[in-house]
Amino acid sequence: MSDLWSLSAPPLVIWLLGPYLAAFVVALLPALSPALILLCSLATAFLGGWAVLGGNRLELQLLQEYGVSLSLDPLAGWFLLLAGLVCLGVWLEARRQGWDRSGWLQLLVLLGALNTSFLTTDLVSLYVSLEVVAISAFLLILRGATANAGWIALRYLLVSNTAMGLYLIGAALVYAQSGSFRFEALAALAPGAPLALVLVGLLTKSGVFLNGLWLPRTHAEAPAEVSALLSGVVVSAGALPLLRLQQLNGAFTGLVAPIGLASAALGLVYALTASDAKRLLAWSTLAQMGLVVLTPAAGGLMALSHGLAKAGLFLTARHWPGLSLQDWRKRPLVWSLLLPLWLGSLSIAALPPLLGFTAKKQLQAALSPELGWLVLLLSIGSVAVYARLWQAPWRWSPRPPLCWGALLLMLPLLLVGLAVSSRQADIPDLLQALAVLGLGLLLHLGLERLRAGGGPELPQLDRLSDLLGGLGVVGAGLLLAMAGGGQPLLTGGAG
Amino acid sequence: MTAIRLLELLILLAALAGFAGLLLRRNLFLKVLAMDVTGSAVVALFVLFAARSGLRSPILSRLADPAALGQAGGDLADPIPQAVILTAIVIGLSIQALLLVVITQLARIDPSLDASSFEPSDRP
Repeated sequence: MSDLWSLSAPPLVIWLLGPYLAAFVVALLPALSPALILLCSLATAFLGGWAVLGGNRLELQLLQEYGVSLSLDPLAGWFLLLAGLVCLGVWLEARRQGWDRSGWLQLLVLLGALNTSFLTTDLVSLYVSLEVVAISAFLLILRGATANAGWIALRYLLVSNTAMGLYLIGAALVYAQSGSFRFEALAALAPGAPLALVLVGLLTKSGVFLNGLWLPRTHAEAPAEVSALLSGVVVSAGALPLLRLQQLNGAFTGLVAPIGLASAALGLVYALTASDAKRLLAWSTLAQMGLVVLTPAAGGLMALSHGLAKAGLFLTARHWPGLSLQDWRKRPLVWSLLLPLWLGSLSIAALPPLLGFTAKKQLQAALSPELGWLVLLLSIGSVAVYARLWQAPWRWSPRPPLCWGALLLMLPLLLVGLAVSSRQADIPDLLQALAVLGLGLLLHLGLERLRAGGGPELPQLDRLSDLLGGLGVVGAGLLLAMAGGGQPLLTGGAG
Repeated sequence: MTAIRLLELLILLAALAGFAGLLLRRNLFLKVLAMDVTGSAVVALFVLFAARSGLRSPILSRLADPAALGQAGGDLADPIPQAVILTAIVIGLSIQALLLVVITQLARIDPSLDASSFEPSDRP
């Protein structure tokens, strides 16, 4: 223990505290912001890459038995890599939008809180870091100058804090039953109220199914760079603990997987009927987060490929001529914006040779055959969703506005995807992907006709009462699903 | 131990009441206050769980006889939940403050702070 401490602990702790320290420095000396933000996000991406590529693990226990336990493993590595790259891309774009020192401070605090939330393996440290993530995301949403920004931000923090209150009750019950706040303690308990409450909190944070109904409008109305951060990494801060819990106790997958699939279906239906391009992207985030939490075997790669692509797509949104999807085909987009748009959306629609294809293949391999087919059916839907964005005509221009942040995020999707696909090229897989593409385009053509004729009217689903009711419905559903085993539901107090 | 069960039930009822208030109240300010009721219930729950092993504050006195700690430790409260909930209280306070700042800004749009007047009518 002491050897491990002396070798790995100081650098790791310095890296964890670095972004917070940098945030203070940037607030005082804004001239240092480029160097510090570059340093912090590159260090995060590098550490993530080191854990993923080398399969390295690092366990740390700070302050003895009841202290903070940290764990860096390949699964967390995917998320760190994502956080580092997305922060870098967002920084490149935000510089050109003239962010001031308060913006850089919020970005650095967000990065620090994300790093902590990806490493902690106990319920209380996770609570603290998720709340810091929520507060910095709230302040970033408020940067939007629209009249609506205040309401959207208020709604976000209100729902997220309510969910985290329920999560804390769950954590207290876990401590009362087992005397520890570690994830292992929760995983070892019989399923019951503690698990349901913790899951409600985490599902809300990761924007899955009814708990995630706050997500579409929040992500669509925030400024483009903030949407990229929110959809790219902030939601994955809730997804990683869900995956870790499933890793510790395989039985939890039976509870989370149906919710994830339902989320994927709900997000697709609404994305297919959305009338605004940013809302289409946001509903698609809700759908993809459902797929991310399905299984820990593929969750990391799914989160990385989706986060990179979605953050890049949102970054290009700043330069779109308009958001209405109805006249999308009438408005040509310059090639330098359409290129990242196509790359990102093709990757989310899981077409080879992009990284999203590799991720979807890994996901299908990790699931049972029936679930694998369901995921394949859902991919047809995502092709139809993104086909709506592919309608924009290309426009050639010699000196186009370049969106460096989006291009930076698309590069790994293309390069890593190419590297992996060229090594494991598989004819049946390619044929399957082509069939999915064809069916998706057919579905898109059919739906276009339906949408032209008015189309069905879906319920609104995102008033404040719907968001809060969603928490209650999913929590009650989880309890009912667990009560099937005949467990006593509330066994906290009398110890 | 029945007293603790009863208190636990009351605390959970308070949390539920806060959640119901959050859902049913129309005024935004009251909604935020209802959220605080839930937060206070959570704090009370942690303090209650800390008190299961004893009621005395878990602070060692310099004058205490170290040899007598074994017997005295029996009625000390559990310091872990108390320490943990301190952080949550601070976070709850800061979130409350941030929400109230936004509400003062929203009051310029609708001074009656009716939540439904901020809800957009279009589908997300």
